[in-house]
Amino acid sequence: MIQIDAYKMLQTADGELPLAISLTIEKGQFVAIYGNSGAGKTTILRILSGLTDAEKVNIKVGESIWDDSEKKVHLPVQKRSIGFVFQDFALFPNLTVKENLEFALSKNDSKEIVEELIDLMELQSLQNSKPQNLSGGQKQRVALARAIVRKPEILLLDEPLSALDDDMRFKLQDYILKIHQKYQLTTLMISHSIAEIFKLSDQVIVLDKGKIIKEGTPATVFSEQKISSKFQLTGEIISITKSDVVYIVQISSGNNIVKVIATEEDAKEYRIGQKVLVASKAFNPIIQVLI
Amino acid sequence: MNVLNGIITEIRSNEGISLVKVKSNTFTFSSIVLDTPETVNYLVKDNVVQIIFKETEVIIAKDLNLAISIQNQIPCRIASLKKGIILSQINLVIQDSDQSIQSIITTNACEQLDLKENDKVLALIKTNEVSLSAHD
Repeated sequence: MIQIDAYKMLQTADGELPLAISLTIEKGQFVAIYGNSGAGKTTILRILSGLTDAEKVNIKVGESIWDDSEKKVHLPVQKRSIGFVFQDFALFPNLTVKENLEFALSKNDSKEIVEELIDLMELQSLQNSKPQNLSGGQKQRVALARAIVRKPEILLLDEPLSALDDDMRFKLQDYILKIHQKYQLTTLMISHSIAEIFKLSDQVIVLDKGKIIKEGTPATVFSEQKISSKFQLTGEIISITKSDVVYIVQISSGNNIVKVIATEEDAKEYRIGQKVLVASKAFNPIIQVLI
Repeated sequence: MNVLNGIITEIRSNEGISLVKVKSNTFTFSSIVLDTPETVNYLVKDNVVQIIFKETEVIIAKDLNLAISIQNQIPCRIASLKKGIILSQINLVIQDSDQSIQSIITTNACEQLDLKENDKVLALIKTNEVSLSAHD
C-alpha cells in the first residue's frame, strides 16, 4: 500500500496554484493520472520519487516512511525503490543498449536481470546498438527495460508514449502491461489517452487545478452514468457539421472515426475536443466476418 | 436524444436478458437489456431510472389502432414540425402529460402522412431501441 499526502504551492503561468492531494494506492495496481496540462500531474510523480520537495508531504510505502515533513524525514531519490520513464528520457548515447541496462545495475546486482529484460522486451537484435541508431519506440522500450533493472516496487511513467505513432503506442502498451504484471509492480502512469487508460489501468485519478476531482475504475470515471447499452466506445469529438435538420458528429476513438447523428438541441451541448461516450444497443450492430 | 425519467415496475429475466417495464408519468415503456438484477444493481423494482432513445428510432403513425409488434405505442400530440429537405424533426408532447419527445423521420414520410401541428399521432419505439440508465 502506498499512502501519499502532499501540499505544494505550484508556480504556473496563471499564478500560484496549490497542489493538495491525498491518495492511497494498493500494491500491484496500475493507476493512471489524467488531467489538463498544468494540473500538477508530473509534480505528483516528482514528489513521490523525491525529485521535488513539497511544503507538506507524507509518503508511506508499505511499512517504510519515504517522506514526513513534520519529522524532517526525506529518503533520497536513490534509496527509493522506483523506476521512471519520461517522455524524453535520455539514454547514454555512448553506451550500447545492453550497456545502458547494465549501467543501471547496483554494484552487487546479478547481471541475470539484464538478460531477462532483453528477452522480455525483445531487444536481442538491438542489444549491441547505440541509442542514435534506434527509433523512438525502440528507445522507449530500452528506457522501460532500464527502469526495471533494479526491480523497483514502483514504476512511474510520465506520458512515455505520447511522442509515438499509434502502432508503436499499442505495442509499447503491451510491453508496459507485461512488465507491470511480471515484476508485480505498482505503476503510476500519466496519460492523456482515455483508450490507453482503459487498456492499462485498474484505477484512474482525474486531476484538475491541483485537486483530485474524480477517482475510480476507468469505466466509472469516464462514463458519467451507467447506461445499459452494450455497444460503447469512448472518444473525442473532432467535428460537428450541420446536415439538413440534424447534425453529424464525428468522434475519434483509438484508430477509428465514427459518425453519430444528433439533433440541433443536443449538438448545442457538444464542442470539439470534448471527451464523450458513444453508446448503442447491442441489438443494432451488424457483424461481418473479414477475410 | 430523448431522455425521460421513470420508475421500474416490472422485470422479467431469462438467460442474461431482461424485459423491463418503466413507468414515466402516464406511459409505461418496455425496454429489453442484456443485463439482469444479478449483473447490475440499478435493475430493482421501484428504482428511478432514465429511459433513453434516439429521435431517429421514433416511428410516427396516424392510425391510432394498430395491430403491430411494436410495444411502445405512445399517444402524442404534434407540438411543432421542423422540415428539412431530406429529414424532418417532429416535436411531440405525450398525451395527458407535459413531457415532450422528438422524432426524426424523412420529409417524404412527413408529407405522405400530411403531418401538421396538433395532429394526434402514435409515437412507436421498438423495445430493443430503449436504453436504460441508472439515475444519478
